[in-house]
Amino acid sequence: MSRAWRLIDTGMRSAAENMALDRALLESCQAGAPNTLRFLRFEPSALIGFHQSVSQELDLDYCRREGIAISRRITGGGALYCDQGQIGWELFVDRRTFATADMLAIARQVCGIAVEGLRSLGVDAAFRPRNDIEVAGRKIGGTGGAFDGNALLYQGTVLIDFDVERMLRVLRIPQEKLSDKAIASARERITTLRACLSEDTPSAASVQAVFAKAFTQGLGIDLEPGDLSAAERDLYARYRIEMGSDDWVFETDRPRLEVATASAMRKTTGGLVRVMATVDTVRERLKQVFITGDFFINPRRAIVDLEAALRDLALEKIDETVDAFFQGRAVEMLLLTPKDLKTVLHEALRSVEPQGHERVGV
Amino acid sequence: MASVRGCNIPEDLSYNVDNNVWARREADGTVTVGLTAYACSLAGEIVAYTPKKAGKDIAKDKSCATVESGKWVGPVKTPVTGSVVAINDAVASKPGLINKDPYGEGWVVKMKPSDWDGESKSLKAGGDAVSAFEAKMDSEGFKGC
Repeated sequence: MSRAWRLIDTGMRSAAENMALDRALLESCQAGAPNTLRFLRFEPSALIGFHQSVSQELDLDYCRREGIAISRRITGGGALYCDQGQIGWELFVDRRTFATADMLAIARQVCGIAVEGLRSLGVDAAFRPRNDIEVAGRKIGGTGGAFDGNALLYQGTVLIDFDVERMLRVLRIPQEKLSDKAIASARERITTLRACLSEDTPSAASVQAVFAKAFTQGLGIDLEPGDLSAAERDLYARYRIEMGSDDWVFETDRPRLEVATASAMRKTTGGLVRVMATVDTVRERLKQVFITGDFFINPRRAIVDLEAALRDLALEKIDETVDAFFQGRAVEMLLLTPKDLKTVLHEALRSVEPQGHERVGV
Repeated sequence: MASVRGCNIPEDLSYNVDNNVWARREADGTVTVGLTAYACSLAGEIVAYTPKKAGKDIAKDKSCATVESGKWVGPVKTPVTGSVVAINDAVASKPGLINKDPYGEGWVVKMKPSDWDGESKSLKAGGDAVSAFEAKMDSEGFKGC
């Protein structure tokens, strides 16, 4: 296997252009193009995962009003808001480059290299399953992948700056939007290089240089700056139109009514526990959950880690996931028990009502 | 039922080993297509399933459905050319069924094949399939299901 990889920086682009490049380069990788590291930047974009639904994930009216472009990724995972404050990194690579065919192991290995990149910037980053890169429990980047045959695309973001309020408006998340509490709560769950490093915050170009070095070392490769091939440009031109079209963006759209908000609040002996969640009622999955309250828990990040463990989870697996979470780590709670948390989660699920009163996106 | 490194590989099915998919000719002439237990083990829990629409014509080794697991999205490649005659509603609402019962309730699509007799010759069955999966698992550093 060749050590020589191509390095491409495609600069600041629209949602449809970035998605079209993902698709063109993955297809090209399958056709035998060299392994490639691509850096990308984002004009304001709301990007849903391949299997997600715009109506369920995004406030379409807000995005249209604000000129935020919408597209659907070819990769998995959840909806994102991206703008000029983030960089994206992507590997297009033959899967036989890795010693394993286990997809979770490959993701973990690639994320581990991204974590090393952040650490060399002076940020105490770590990988949190299933796909977050976090600092002290706060997400500083998300990742996801796609494959076709032996060609893999694995991508991630790094938040240099981030507009939390704007994200809360763009994404349909189970919080009372734009209340001070919701903004404070989101800020407890997300961080940025600027929040970590203040005046030492690197430029986008410096972050890219550090990540290029991390991938060079982590994969044992040589990076050679390059450009798109003629064949890739042709594919890109074709997909740029398709990836911006409603046919692509809304292909997997599903009724807003399939997603319900669940909430419950309970005074336990350990304090007040409040759960807000979104539930996919058709697939019987917990999409996203926020757990807040005035209970004592140490380390504080444990509750955000628990939220991450519960994200996108079959409802039937909630109890075993909570139990396994607390068995697997040293968490100190005062009077509050894992059983209390399970009780409030189940109370929230019993509260589920379809959201008929909310406007449907399309 | 044959087992390779703990992964069930039923000997009565026809496999495209590279694409990690199986096909079964049914009495009515249709072909049921699914992912192997090995593919499921590599993927982890499957959380989303988008099949091609019924009536769609698909060439051999092209995608008849897209699935997602652990944030990875990828195609299920049909081992034979044909048109989709049925998609699996049970899997649509519970994609994890593919992992639970990859050769039964977790089937991916049913196809009306255009040339089963011709194309099935290139698929592997029985002991040939078992040894091909053994070699594949070896080259992919796979420990076991």
